[in-house]
Amino acid sequence: MREKIVYGLVAAAAIILAINFYRIMLVLPDDAMQGPIYRIIYFHVPAAITAFTGFFVALVLSAWYLSSGKMTADSLAASVTEVSLVFAVLNLVTGSIWAHVIWGVWWTWDARLTSMLVCVLIYAGYLMLRQAIDEPTRRARLSAALSIFGFADVVIVWKSIEWFRTNHPQPVLSVRTGGGHMDPRMEAALYINLLALVLFAAALTIVRARQEAAAREIDSLRRYANAY
Amino acid sequence: MPFSKTSRKTVEAPSAAPNVIGSSSPPRLVASTSFAPVKQALAVARKDLSVELRTKESLNSAGAFAIVILLLFSFAFDPDAEMAQELAGGLLWLVFAFAGALVFNRGFARELPNECLDALLASSVSSASLVLGKALASVGILLIIELLSLFVFGIFYNKQWWTHPAELAAVFVLASWGICIVGAVFGALTVNLRLRELMLPVIIYPLLLPLLMAAIELTNRLLANQKLGESDWLWGRVLLVFDVVFTALAMLLAEPILVN
Amino acid sequence: MDARNIAFMFYGLLTAWLIVAFYVVSLARRSARLKKELDDVKQLMSANTAAATEKQPARR
Repeated sequence: MREKIVYGLVAAAAIILAINFYRIMLVLPDDAMQGPIYRIIYFHVPAAITAFTGFFVALVLSAWYLSSGKMTADSLAASVTEVSLVFAVLNLVTGSIWAHVIWGVWWTWDARLTSMLVCVLIYAGYLMLRQAIDEPTRRARLSAALSIFGFADVVIVWKSIEWFRTNHPQPVLSVRTGGGHMDPRMEAALYINLLALVLFAAALTIVRARQEAAAREIDSLRRYANAY
Repeated sequence: MPFSKTSRKTVEAPSAAPNVIGSSSPPRLVASTSFAPVKQALAVARKDLSVELRTKESLNSAGAFAIVILLLFSFAFDPDAEMAQELAGGLLWLVFAFAGALVFNRGFARELPNECLDALLASSVSSASLVLGKALASVGILLIIELLSLFVFGIFYNKQWWTHPAELAAVFVLASWGICIVGAVFGALTVNLRLRELMLPVIIYPLLLPLLMAAIELTNRLLANQKLGESDWLWGRVLLVFDVVFTALAMLLAEPILVN
Repeated sequence: MDARNIAFMFYGLLTAWLIVAFYVVSLARRSARLKKELDDVKQLMSANTAAATEKQPARR
């Protein structure tokens, strides 16, 4: 059953991405100011949204683990964090390549770049912490606490440098601006890609969560075997 | 405390705990008034500080470390140059953050020998008070180191740092508290880990980034003899928000972090 | 200038997919390793229980 869900999600994501990729590359025009490079936005922005959504879901799952003690919540939180981290890195790397062409630098200490980097560092620390603890419930408790601290920190970083010197373009999506900053056809393509990436991230999370469950099973079997 | 599964208030203090703690007046720990958590935290802090003043473990190591780094930097960059002006805040706060990590590493690890940590957790001191007390003690130690570093900094870098004493003190206390509460929580979190000395800095430095940014910005302004203006108040607000949010989270999460 | 613009667009899209592909491969390898480990442990368990039922009092 779970296999089918994973395959279904991946297939849906692949179909959407393929059709949308054709539209992005061949139907939609170049950006008037930036030329073809602007097409990175179709992966750059959806990846960021996917990553932040994932980190938020991880926060909720961590709080759920602490209040209920359910190991499922813990393995889901770990999986969602790891997958989101991949998308966060994807966002940083594509952004860096884009910046190299448009701003002439690979990196600048701008509000959005900094908060994404802090995000990556914190959640990489989360994964390191999980590797450093063997005992499953202790690992779950401590990493859940770190996840909550980490999310609070990302919010503070975000708020604290909002007024700071910013190179990064202001929001262009109409949910933030009320419309008029981006061609509706381009914006639609971006949302469709977002949907595909979220589906894909969900599939990866399910696979990863199953690995966590398998690792726990191995662990408990080992303990059981050692008890005799 | 939504996360607590067991009420710790019902647990009687075992008679062994006060001995382990080694403070001169053990009954202080078993306070039962409405200010009990704060009193307990103060008792833990008092005990930590008196141990520290006797052994001077953290003070010596972190203080020496801070001075050596300041000295090295004054060799690496020419301190008379304009650059010293711009580097001052960043240099000082990086030194404090590094020195702080040395202090926090000791904070909970100090309780590991003789199972003191288990005894403390079994006593009537709540986990939140324990973390708060550890943070109070480290903030005391860190402030001493900061004051010492400022003197050394003034000499090596030929700078008058005392022109706005009140503002500087406020910035230092607020920022140090933020560093120490995060340090205390994650000191507790990493206390039983292998690679403890590595994990602690890897986790806390990214978390401390907004706080350090604000502290560096404000310290730079104050050391450049400028009055704090409207835009600096925004950085001050970052310090305040960081302190409040992280202190609250620390109190909330102390129990699941410390108690099995 | 325009050629560079297009080239970097391809670099960007390529690295995006390379990162995803890299993660998927690492995920698949981890899955295979876990499956093998689980099989090993199960085999070990059945061997153990078989040995235990043969000489029952030997159970510690």
